[in-house]
Amino acid sequence: MPAGDAFSPRQQDEVVRAIRLAQQQSQLPVSVYVGTLEGDSRAAALTLHGALGDGATRTVLVAVDPGARRVEVVTGPEVRRRLDDRAAGLAAMTMTSAFQGGDLAGGIASGVLALAEYAHVPPSLHTDTPE
Amino acid sequence: MTARHLRRGLAGGTVALVLLATQGLASPAFAATHPDDGSESGPGLSVLQTILIFVGIPAGLFVVIALLVTAPSIARGPRYRPGLGWWAAPVWFNGPDDADSAVRSASATAGGGGASARW
Repeated sequence: MPAGDAFSPRQQDEVVRAIRLAQQQSQLPVSVYVGTLEGDSRAAALTLHGALGDGATRTVLVAVDPGARRVEVVTGPEVRRRLDDRAAGLAAMTMTSAFQGGDLAGGIASGVLALAEYAHVPPSLHTDTPE
Repeated sequence: MTARHLRRGLAGGTVALVLLATQGLASPAFAATHPDDGSESGPGLSVLQTILIFVGIPAGLFVVIALLVTAPSIARGPRYRPGLGWWAAPVWFNGPDDADSAVRSASATAGGGGASARW
């Protein structure tokens, strides 16, 4: 979907850079949707997450509806093991506190970075070889 | 009041009177030959000049100041203000290539988690 006039080029860069950083640092694919979430916002966000296709189970979707002032963080079944709901809630709170000040792009960027921060690279268990 | 006081007062008064008289008599003659700056009004302003000075300059200043005030926000682009609604088309970063058809054929994710928040 081509970017509308929701963000200035610099704001878009900010969001894109945060998404890229999340991918690089934590191998966390993040998708960010900014627009209206019709009807029940949670259900709409789940549908959007489903629309991500094959990679959906590994992807985190951040859906922001600035008109209804709602933010939904959807984690796929696979990524949920790395990023529990409490961490998602903390990231959502990071975003809403910036949104309250009117900083949409900055809030999304810091929220995505917070998600990447909480989503540690999965530790590989049971591979230690004790001496 | 002593006589000496009286005499001194009289003398002072006389000096002041003489000074005033000479000044008063001399100045009109001086003014006739040496007019002060601004004592003669020049040619009046034409209608065009009047409008330019008293309407054009204030209006110009108004426009310049208004531009200076609004320029930064115009340069920064549209800004989200909580409570004023949302006007822009949806944006999807890192989304599916054909978002419309992808959403239409999509089924909601099951077994996922996440969080909701509002502000």
